[in-house]
Amino acid sequence: MRRAGCAALLALFSAGAVTHPAPNSMLKLDFGASGVRAEYWVPVSELAYARAADPRGGGFADYLLRHVAAESPGGAPWRVSVAGVREATYAEHAYLVADLSLLPPAGVSPRAFVLLDDAVTHEVRNHVVYVVARRDAGPTLLGLLQYPTRRLEVAAP
Amino acid sequence: MRAAVLPLLFMCAAAIAAPAQTCRQADGGHGDAVAVAAAVRDLRSLLSESQRTALDKPLTYDSAIQWSNLPIGVVPRTGLRLGDLDPRQTAAARKLFEAALSACGLKLLDEVRLADDWLTTYDKRPIGWNGGNYYLTVLGEAGAKSPWMLQVGGHHLAYNFTFNGHLPGATPLFFGSEPIRFEVKGVAYQPLDAQSSAMSKLAAAIATRAGARLSGTFTDVVKGVVVSGVPGKMTGGIDTGFPQSYPAGTEDRGVQVGALDPAQRQLAREALESFASFPGSAISAPLLAAYLEPKAFEATYVGYAGDPALGTKGSYIRIDGPRAWMELVVQPAIAHPKELHYHALWRDKQSDYGGEIRH
Repeated sequence: MRRAGCAALLALFSAGAVTHPAPNSMLKLDFGASGVRAEYWVPVSELAYARAADPRGGGFADYLLRHVAAESPGGAPWRVSVAGVREATYAEHAYLVADLSLLPPAGVSPRAFVLLDDAVTHEVRNHVVYVVARRDAGPTLLGLLQYPTRRLEVAAP
Repeated sequence: MRAAVLPLLFMCAAAIAAPAQTCRQADGGHGDAVAVAAAVRDLRSLLSESQRTALDKPLTYDSAIQWSNLPIGVVPRTGLRLGDLDPRQTAAARKLFEAALSACGLKLLDEVRLADDWLTTYDKRPIGWNGGNYYLTVLGEAGAKSPWMLQVGGHHLAYNFTFNGHLPGATPLFFGSEPIRFEVKGVAYQPLDAQSSAMSKLAAAIATRAGARLSGTFTDVVKGVVVSGVPGKMTGGIDTGFPQSYPAGTEDRGVQVGALDPAQRQLAREALESFASFPGSAISAPLLAAYLEPKAFEATYVGYAGDPALGTKGSYIRIDGPRAWMELVVQPAIAHPKELHYHALWRDKQSDYGGEIRH
C-alpha cells in the first residue's frame, strides 16, 4: 500500500473542518539509532468500545501494553514501554495520546520490526490504524491494520 | 442555493409521484455501454474546455479510488461539478444518468442530493453540504470497446461503473443518507428506504438463528474508504484500502443462505437485489445472476449486529457472498448528532472497478 494512498493522505484539510463518526487511530514512528519512539493517537470514542470488551482494568498505559507489542522479523520480542499519556482534541474528537518506546534486543537493528497491535481493532471491526513514519519531508504511510489483521511488518523508509 | 434546490425538487417530485419502488426491478436506463457513451459525448459537446478537463481523467488506480463518503469540505473532488452546469448541460447530464441508472439508481441520486441540500439549512459549518456538490467524471475514453469508467458522486453517493471491463463493474458503490427521513415542501423522502427495509427484514428473520449475530462493534461500514483525522496534516477518505481482503472460513460471518428456510432465503434475495438495483440492468443483471446462482447464493453468509430494526447506532447488517459484499450500518448523524444516519456499501470481491484497476 500504496503510493496513491500516501498522496491522498497527504492532501490537506483544515483542522476542525468536520467531525467523522468513526475516527481512526494513528501510530507515528520515529526510527532512532537504538530504538523506535512512537506516538499513538487513539480516539476515545472507539477506545471505549474496545475497553468495554477487555475489562481487565488498569489505566490506558496498562491496557496498551496488553495490546501492543513489537518483535524482530525473526520473532525476538522487543521491549515496549509507555513513557506518558496525554489527552488531546482534534477535529472535534477526543484522543488519548501515548508516547511509546520500542527497543529491540541488543545487537538487533531498530530499522525493521513486526508491529503487533489490536488495541481498538480487536473489537471495532471497521477501525483502522494508520502506521506512519515521521520524516522531515512529511509522514510516510507504512501500512494499515484492521481486524482481523493485528500484525504489520514495518521498516524505516 | 435556491437555484440548486429547485431542479432537484422538480426531479424528486417526479420520482416520488411514481409507485413505491421495491428496487427489485431494473426499470429506467439499461446501462448499455454504447448508449451511455453516446450520452457522455452529447454532454461533452456542451462543455467548455475547462469543464472537459474536469470531466476527463485517465483510467488509473489513482483516479479510480478518488471517491469518498465524506463531503467536499473534507475530501475535495475534482470532477465536473453538477451544481455548476447550465440548464442545457444539466439536461444532458440528466440524459446520461438516465442512460446509466435504473429508476432506483436515479431516485437515489436525486434524493441523496436533496438530503444534502436539506442539511445546508441546519448545519452552517463549511463542510460542503450541498446537492450541487456532486460530481461527474469519465475515466478513460467513453466508447463501445475499450474499458472506461463513469463516476458520479459526492458526500453520500459514489457510483463507480465500469464499461467494457474484464468483468461487469458496478462497484464500489457507496450510498448513505443523512437525514434518514426528511420532508421538503410537504413531500417525505427516505432515500434508503428500500435497502434499509430489506436488510432490516432479513436481520429480524435470522436474528434467532445460531451464528447470525456478528461479534464486535461496528461504527461504520467495514470495507469503505479509509479515514484519518489525526494531526500531522494527514487525511484520507478515499478508497486507499483497495484491493480489499475479506473474511475467510466459516467463523463469525453470520449464517449461510443454504441453512435458511424458503421465506428467509427470499428476504436474503430481496436484500441483495435492493443493493444491486441501482445501475442499469446491463450492468447489474450479470452480477445479480452470479450472486443468485444457486451454489453461490447458498454459500452466501448473512449476519447482523445491534438492532435488527436499525433503531440504534452500531446496528449493522451484512451480506457476504463468494462475490457480493453488502453492508449497512447505523451511525450518529453529523448535522444532528442526536439523530442517526445510514452508510451502506456494495462491493464485488472480483469485479470492483470492472477488474480493470491494479495497484
